[in-house]
Amino acid sequence: MLHVIDWLGSHFFGLFQAGGTQFVGLVTGIVPILVVLLTFMYSVVRFIGQERVNRAILYSAKVSILRYTLMPILALLLLANPMAYTFGRFLPEHQKPAFYDAAVSFCHPVTSFFPYANAGEIFVWLGIADGITKLHMSIAPLAVRYFLLGIVIILIRGLLTERITVYLMNRKSTQGQPSKIQTEAL
Amino acid sequence: MAYRSVRVNPGEGGWGKGLIIAPHDHKAKVVSVTGGGIHPVAQRIAELTGAVAVDGFRTQVPKEEMCCVVVNCGGTARIGVYPRMGVLTIDVIPSGPSGPLAQYIKETNFVSGVRPETVELTTDATDTQAESRPGVADSTPNQVPANPFNAGNSTDRSFFLKLSGVMGYIVGTLYQSGREAVDMIIRNILPFMAFVSLLIGFVVYTGLGHDLATVVAPLGGTVWGLALIVIVGTFPLFSPMLGPGAVVAQIVGVFVGTEIAAGVIPPQYALPALFAIDGQVGCDFIPVAMALGEATVETTEVGVPAVLFSRQVTGVVAVVLAWLASFGLYSTAHIK
Repeated sequence: MLHVIDWLGSHFFGLFQAGGTQFVGLVTGIVPILVVLLTFMYSVVRFIGQERVNRAILYSAKVSILRYTLMPILALLLLANPMAYTFGRFLPEHQKPAFYDAAVSFCHPVTSFFPYANAGEIFVWLGIADGITKLHMSIAPLAVRYFLLGIVIILIRGLLTERITVYLMNRKSTQGQPSKIQTEAL
Repeated sequence: MAYRSVRVNPGEGGWGKGLIIAPHDHKAKVVSVTGGGIHPVAQRIAELTGAVAVDGFRTQVPKEEMCCVVVNCGGTARIGVYPRMGVLTIDVIPSGPSGPLAQYIKETNFVSGVRPETVELTTDATDTQAESRPGVADSTPNQVPANPFNAGNSTDRSFFLKLSGVMGYIVGTLYQSGREAVDMIIRNILPFMAFVSLLIGFVVYTGLGHDLATVVAPLGGTVWGLALIVIVGTFPLFSPMLGPGAVVAQIVGVFVGTEIAAGVIPPQYALPALFAIDGQVGCDFIPVAMALGEATVETTEVGVPAVLFSRQVTGVVAVVLAWLASFGLYSTAHIK
């Protein structure tokens, strides 16, 4: 116990100095780019306008490959986390959970190029990317692969979750009234 | 049935001035959206008022029936979603207005840091206040300047007037975007940096990092270790608890980054690691997101297990695919 107090006494400032150094590193390394990038992205969204993106999203809702790739991505880019999930209202019930699964699973890969879409949770990506930067390597190839692979994975998630949802809905409806979900889905 | 009203005061470090919760016949559900189960605060409010406590994670409640909602949000999503819907929001974590929906969080619809002890029955004198339920959330929409392109009545405008209008629109939009960007940095990013700096500073200075590295290296530096992380993280019992605010994923992300920088984890493992630490993403938020997507009660009841089970499979699949995709990443060619 005494050792701990002793240690704290002599190292009190050193401890916070180390924390301070970390903080300065993060602030000078990340914040300047982020401020400018966020400003740019927010303006682009404003200039393009919600209506035009809305139309693209409604179109993509109809095709299953696009529904779990383009649609959640556009929804995130337009409305950001968490309001992006409101686009689920344009889908039939059995696709809503899958759409959410796809959209939320993209809300960290999206930050590698469009941090504004989920700026509050940017450290999932930046935390790991910062390690690469400290090794004096470029984060660009990692960002590209993270983003692209993210698209593949949300598609897999969307398709599988839709299957499971339909299965669970059917199992439930055999106990109650029959439903048309199965035929709608196929 | 006669309901009583309670006053919910902010707890230690909490935000807001307190709310009066006054259930009545058509608005008598205290909804607990705390990752499964009824939170003690929701239980207490229900007991005192005579309202019903409902687990918002299992059952969907229309917002018209909610007399208040109890959340455990550290400050991104849920914290703003319910105030935006016009539902009185009680956060058991002491958070202030933050996240993308911070503008909707007001003293009239939100209180935080609440513990069961800070909930008390109102005296008759203050009961009159119970009527002052929040109306439509008085949203002050972003002051985006009106688009002059769409402005009618432009026939008598000279070219230069139009030009200056367009310039004003562009500059105004950029300025507003800048304000939003700085706001985001101050509200969300700098606080997280401060907290992470303290944590990392402590770990680095005390040498705890070395001990940690011996644990992390086999977990983060092999595909088996990463697969194990994601299998545990997506386990349906854990995944809703690990989700809120992505705080866990963010902290682990920073640690993995630190270990990559230290050479403990090879850099190409950054890609599978990104997916391994994030398998549980959003699992805490399913019922709320279903409400945002205007899903029916039945869909929500089916949707929660559907997403949780799906994750158990796709979480590992994601890590393995990411591992395969990481071949050739950060061979010497990418060094600056």
